[in-house]
Amino acid sequence: MQLRTFLAKDMKAALASVRADMGPDAVIVASEKAKSGGVMVRAALDSADNDVQPAAAAEPAPVADFDLHYRDGLLRRLRNAGDGKPRLSFNRSELLAALNRHRLPDALAHALAETAAKAQLTDMTLALAFALEQRLKTRPLEMNAATALLLVGPNGAGKTAVAAKIAAHARLEGRRTTLIASDSAGAGAVARLETFARHLDCAIAIADSAPRIDALVSECVAKKTFAIVDTAGFDPRDAKARTAFSALAQIAKLETLGVVAAPNDAEDLSEIVEALASLGASRLIVTQADLARRAGGLIAAATQSLPLAHITRSPFVAGGLEQPSSLSLARLLLDEQRSAQ
Amino acid sequence: MTTHLTAIGSGKGGTGKTLIAVSLAHAFAHLGERVLLCDADLGLSNAGVHLGLSDAGDLPGVLARKRTLDDAVARVACGPHKGFDILAAPSGSGALADAGEDDIETLIDALAHASRYDRVLIDLGAGVDAKVMQFAAHADETLLIVTPDPASLTDAYAFAKLLLRRTTARVPQLLVNMALNATEGRRIAEALTASARAFLKCAPEFLGHVPYDARVPEAVRRQSPLLAAFPQSPAATAIEAIARRLHGRTTAPLAAAGLR
Repeated sequence: MQLRTFLAKDMKAALASVRADMGPDAVIVASEKAKSGGVMVRAALDSADNDVQPAAAAEPAPVADFDLHYRDGLLRRLRNAGDGKPRLSFNRSELLAALNRHRLPDALAHALAETAAKAQLTDMTLALAFALEQRLKTRPLEMNAATALLLVGPNGAGKTAVAAKIAAHARLEGRRTTLIASDSAGAGAVARLETFARHLDCAIAIADSAPRIDALVSECVAKKTFAIVDTAGFDPRDAKARTAFSALAQIAKLETLGVVAAPNDAEDLSEIVEALASLGASRLIVTQADLARRAGGLIAAATQSLPLAHITRSPFVAGGLEQPSSLSLARLLLDEQRSAQ
Repeated sequence: MTTHLTAIGSGKGGTGKTLIAVSLAHAFAHLGERVLLCDADLGLSNAGVHLGLSDAGDLPGVLARKRTLDDAVARVACGPHKGFDILAAPSGSGALADAGEDDIETLIDALAHASRYDRVLIDLGAGVDAKVMQFAAHADETLLIVTPDPASLTDAYAFAKLLLRRTTARVPQLLVNMALNATEGRRIAEALTASARAFLKCAPEFLGHVPYDARVPEAVRRQSPLLAAFPQSPAATAIEAIARRLHGRTTAPLAAAGLR
């Protein structure tokens, strides 16, 4: 395999060098911002090996982050092949129409179309991915590194299911995990969490005051046990509720994770996410993405100031936490149009 | 019942294979597994040197069919923890350098049926020659060590390609050593995964990274296992986490069957 590293002022120039020096079959295997400014791109080239047929090897679930999708996208472009659906040529008014159909807030839709136009890419999906990339910050949870999480968000956002999903991932990584229920008033809330805990082989603890949660979390941290605190839902824009929450926000060692559901009004979600950020949340999980036919809420929530950790598409624990990328979101927004062509 | 064979290779030399093999052996033993570490480095055997052992087993004796496996291994004590066994050649004896394909076949067979052990870790030599690949092809799983050095990337790719060619279906698992941080670790793994996906039509799984850690060379200088000398160091913690991950796969999986 040939491996070459290219330094260029931007991605476009780097890709031009890759094509010029290594031909159309080269694959971008890494790209990053160069310390001196510009980009560093690493490309590989090898003749396809027909002796190698790993037919029996199931491909492990790919880590669906942006780099990977971006690279795959570039690869397809270089090879002039599609993902089965037709590629759309960039057209600003069509893009705006698609964003409007998904009920994106007007300002966001126009800003995205503007940035996408500036990308000067002929492929509309890639242009939109480029525009989303400027606004989307992703920061997936690292189950090995996380110490204690506090889940907050409106009622019905899916905090308990998210707690179970995170616990399942952590248990698969071999971590001891304790689920802490602080929503003892919510109907069936503790019972649900108890059921999850039993299936996941996690410990469960019930705490109805901030000092009690603080004590439990400290205990878990001391024992190197991963603590996940599920809370009662509230509207983070509401002043009274915010004051009530501030006691929880004081607890040290606890990372606050915002949880919101995708099938909601985009403007409402933008406000809620910003309110969660101002309450000290450091990342966001968007749930129920499978239920939202219009992705406006999801996109609006994901492009606020909170980095997006994961999205979920299934109420089942095994449905897991997905890592969204600019390209996967761009595909989601333009899917209908691509299918229509 | 056969024993689980885990081979550790990298193609390129100097990637920290032996250090990782020794530390994984230690970590698996700590997790309660009965472990044998077999140093299959051609000619230049040095797992014993890493551990500061005077007796590191008699691999030449097993290869020459003069001794049985049980008889030829040496015990490595790990302080208060459960230790593991080692089978290596005295440094400089060149035992494996002269071994033929049949001898290696016999050795692998003996390792695979060593029912005294739950797991045999095989520290492969550098390079991708036929003997190295013979060991790798017969293992149940192969860990491929990559470092931030671009040459390590191309050599690891060559290793993966040859392994696939020999076994038609076996995809190695990646472990990035000496990464500056998790982001760099992931980036290096993805570079190799992307190459493999494009040209070999497979995607090696990324097991995790071991951060660059000044205590690693210090432990090597002291000829003391990393997990004993610096159990709290980031590198030791990372290796233990990787061992836990692999351990979970060969033993009873998480009781998540009740979940949908």
